Amino acid sequence: MSGFLGVYRREMLSLWMTPLAWVLLVVFLLLQGGIFYAIVVHFSSLADLAVETGPIEAYFGQQSVFLLMTLLLLCPALTMRTFAEERRSGTIETLLTAPVTPAGVVLGKYAAVLTTYVALWAPTVLYVLILRKTGAVDPGAVLASYIGLFGIGASYLALGTLTSALSKSQLVALLLAILVQFGLFVLGVGEYVLPAGFLRDVAAHVSMASQMEEMARGIVDLRRLVFDASVAVTSLFVTARVVDSWRWG
Amino acid sequence: MIEVDHLTKDYGTVVAVRDLSFRVGEGEIVGFLGPNGAGKTTTLRILAGFLGATEGTARVAGFDIVRESLAARSKLGYMPEAAPLHPELRVREYLAFRAEIKRVARRERTKAIERSLEQAKVTDVAETPIAHLSKGYRQRVALADALVSNPPLLILDEPTAGLDPNQIVEVRRLIRELGQSHTILLSTHILPEVEAVCDRALIVARGKLVGEGTLAELKAARSASALEIVARGDQATCEAAASATPGVKRVSASVLEGESALVRLDVELGAGEEAGTVAERLVAALVSGGAGVQRVNAARASLEEVFRELTAREPEPEPTPAAQGGEA
Repeated sequence: MSGFLGVYRREMLSLWMTPLAWVLLVVFLLLQGGIFYAIVVHFSSLADLAVETGPIEAYFGQQSVFLLMTLLLLCPALTMRTFAEERRSGTIETLLTAPVTPAGVVLGKYAAVLTTYVALWAPTVLYVLILRKTGAVDPGAVLASYIGLFGIGASYLALGTLTSALSKSQLVALLLAILVQFGLFVLGVGEYVLPAGFLRDVAAHVSMASQMEEMARGIVDLRRLVFDASVAVTSLFVTARVVDSWRWG
Repeated sequence: MIEVDHLTKDYGTVVAVRDLSFRVGEGEIVGFLGPNGAGKTTTLRILAGFLGATEGTARVAGFDIVRESLAARSKLGYMPEAAPLHPELRVREYLAFRAEIKRVARRERTKAIERSLEQAKVTDVAETPIAHLSKGYRQRVALADALVSNPPLLILDEPTAGLDPNQIVEVRRLIRELGQSHTILLSTHILPEVEAVCDRALIVARGKLVGEGTLAELKAARSASALEIVARGDQATCEAAASATPGVKRVSASVLEGESALVRLDVELGAGEEAGTVAERLVAALVSGGAGVQRVNAARASLEEVFRELTAREPEPEPTPAAQGGEA
């Protein structure tokens, strides 16, 4: 774990000193704001106020496909630089000749993008606070929703870190990460189109959309989180091996 | 400080370093000299722990670079060839990051950063974003990075590459200064650089150590062995006068292109002759023969000639068939 804190701090500094994080923040909040606004307007036009769900559940749950679509772009954009940029500019050479371990470097970079991801979501807590002024909000469902989002982010960002280590070009890293995540997403859609059986069970298990739908109803299924965590851990482990393998290139 | 034994690096397509062995003692400034593609960068990268060797071992400050990699890496400051830096950071922020991952104790960090800024003479740009710095400054920031943990050993890959002549002089002076308190291994393909800063040179070509010499030996090998004279006068007279001068082995004369009144004499000196003395005699002979001497140049030995000179003394190289291939 040698080098973790130093790498983490440098990554945070670089992320927030360059326009990247700020541009992502603005685009992300505009998108989320738009989606949330549309959902609230929709609910406010409903004549029957005795519906089962509210706008919060819709935002995090049934309509989560919008939210997941933005993550498909957001996460790869956050991770594309991590290793690709260092390899292109050559700073990887100064980094790896310092007394650091591959695990420390990989985790430091990963923790920085994960922190940034959380920071991007933080302002959306305001939506919940605003809604509380006009109606009841189930705090358990909100908490569960954020846990679900964290899980999805943790796995997507780890995959993105891996693709960044696999390429010297940020663009290739970005496209590769989008491809992998989109693949996971599409696999999840299989839940609705595949005939009942093993394959559909697998699809249901990896489906990010149904993960969010469950979480938005306040159900925290540990299997979902175990899946997210295993994707993250596996990706990071492979990334550390990839970093170590450069020595033998 | 550095012990390298039978180091080989095979990239698969090329063998960049083959069976290289050498020692660098404590306090020495050693130049790692060789033409481009000789395997200098590969060797330094292996020593710095960035690359693994295919065969052989290396120890840095007593630590094996593979088995005790972290300990070895914490004993050295490495400056890669192009001096890569993070352009978005300010110099002080960058050095703070480097000090942290090089495990400089938190309490001593500020002091260590100040010291390295001063040693590398970049204190005046400490608050400047690296993106705004000139090449010369970046090179020195990279040097400050190598110095920030105050390691006993510095490994510098072409520290003067890409600098203008003033900056080169400045960096060389800096390296000499640092040599008083650090062991330094630096690579270069410029012979005068070794003469300017090093105590000793290791000469590599095609991944092999082809020669090793002290500064005096290098100087001797590099002393002029030929003179080039341009004189105004008759070609035959000049040639005769030059040939008759003691210390001259061979003369070839030709009329200078576009200047029919000027004669160019290429003079080869006899073995052991001192170029200055012979030049003096030659000028006197030519002038008394009625010619006007316009220019005298000492033709210095090229790097390749020095290689030949230095390697000729040691019955070392038996050219292996693979050695003819191109190198990375």
